[in-house]
Amino acid sequence: MSNFLFLFRGGDAARVQQSPEEMQAHMQKWGAWMGGLKEHDQLVDGLPLAKEGKVVENAGKVITDGPFAEGSEVVGGYLIVTSKDLNGAVEISKGCPIFEHGGNVEVREIMTMNM
Amino acid sequence: MGETKNTPLVEHVFRHEYGKIISFLVHKFGPSHLEQIEDAVQEALIKAMQVWGYNETPQNPSAWLLRVANNQLIDTLRKDKRMVTGEVDKLHDNIQQFQQEVSLKGTINDSQLKMIFACCHPSLSQEYQIILSLKLIGGFGNAEISKALIKKEETVAKSFTRAKKKLKDNVASLDIPVELGLKSRLNIVLKIIYLLFTEGYAASSGANLIKKDICLEAIRLALLLSGNKYCKTAEVHALIALMCFHASRFEARIDLNGDLVDLEHQDRKLYDRELIKKGISHLELAAVKEEPSDYHIQAAISYYHCVAKRFSETDWQGILKLYDLQLRQQYSPIVQLNRIVPFHRVYGADRALVELLNYKQGPHFKDSALYYAIQAELLTDQQNYKGAMAALKKAVVLTSNEMEKKHFYKKLANLQATRP
Repeated sequence: MSNFLFLFRGGDAARVQQSPEEMQAHMQKWGAWMGGLKEHDQLVDGLPLAKEGKVVENAGKVITDGPFAEGSEVVGGYLIVTSKDLNGAVEISKGCPIFEHGGNVEVREIMTMNM
Repeated sequence: MGETKNTPLVEHVFRHEYGKIISFLVHKFGPSHLEQIEDAVQEALIKAMQVWGYNETPQNPSAWLLRVANNQLIDTLRKDKRMVTGEVDKLHDNIQQFQQEVSLKGTINDSQLKMIFACCHPSLSQEYQIILSLKLIGGFGNAEISKALIKKEETVAKSFTRAKKKLKDNVASLDIPVELGLKSRLNIVLKIIYLLFTEGYAASSGANLIKKDICLEAIRLALLLSGNKYCKTAEVHALIALMCFHASRFEARIDLNGDLVDLEHQDRKLYDRELIKKGISHLELAAVKEEPSDYHIQAAISYYHCVAKRFSETDWQGILKLYDLQLRQQYSPIVQLNRIVPFHRVYGADRALVELLNYKQGPHFKDSALYYAIQAELLTDQQNYKGAMAALKKAVVLTSNEMEKKHFYKKLANLQATRP
């Protein structure tokens, strides 16, 4: 089994349009999805990321407010899941509610020392 | 990460918190900051949506949301440079005050009550009063309102924008009107709640689930009023009773095909017993020595319908008396017309047709679908199927409500089948 990083991107534009009721429903889908992962022992870690941040360059000589990327490219959160291989991890990501908002999931294997 | 156990959230908690926090912040900062406040609360809900999905829901969702909305608002107002430094401290005091307010569960939140009065301010048109109440107190979204009221989303959004402007122009701060003004202001509030309810209750092809939510929101608002010592008048209780009785029939009046079912053919097992019970207890609280209000009379009529085990066991005599009382208090052509329904059940079709003719020859006659629907009913009873069909055809033409149209067509088809 390996660990995989899920990076969640985008979906902000759709979120702003939602009514409180829709937001609650959407949030409950995330909870249910992650609850399911946990139940199957597939969930290792994960947290959302705040929108604001800094981009540090040249060992701090240049520090700018970031992230700069277009709204649709900003990472909104991450998750670490276990799966036997990349295909399995991709399969897991398909249930993610972010697709409802036009966002996407980047799936990357996390490398370990004992390759 | 912490536990991923998600405590199930109470239904509609986002929607209700939205209204609560908007009211609170508008109360503190005044309606002039309305837009920034809306954005801040929206932002807080988005954050909640992102964070709570990962983690447990916080112990006190209200306080969590207010803190985030409050911080967001500070940021925005600072950027706007509208705020002097002293006001920031005021914001921090807010959180404590809010926590005191929200901890008083079951009693009305003071700022929400004031917000109701602001949204129903007499300087605003009825259309604006309704949309402001739905959006700012009810927490409904434009799309939801447009679906329920069968209006374009764009129209709802525009009307909300205009309503907000008017509110800001006319209402400088949120207050509860004092003594003498209270009664007349309360009457407007009750009327708006009643209209909200009827908008939700109107049989239309609008999204049924949301329509029901609007009805329940109207009941919730009236219940909030009834929990306040200045507002718990007999009329408020009567209005609650009336809405509970009507709402109890919500599921029964539309069948599985989405077609309208009239009182006679409703499956009374589908009536919501809990709501009826609630209605009865409020009807008891509504008891008055003086003249009953219109809400009282309507509630009592609805009560008779709810408690009749079968259509044939309806206390038509009692209902007719209530209509007579209503007419004596204040004449209304609609009431006169509706009165003919119980009159028919008590005195038969022949005499009811005379009443109908009286109405037609009276000064208030208006060609309406209801008039012809009643006429069709009476003629059917007399086995004058040809006449009944002619009346129904006129009713079809006169109604613009698709569900009613379908209902009349169905009756027409039935008549065609029974006609010898």
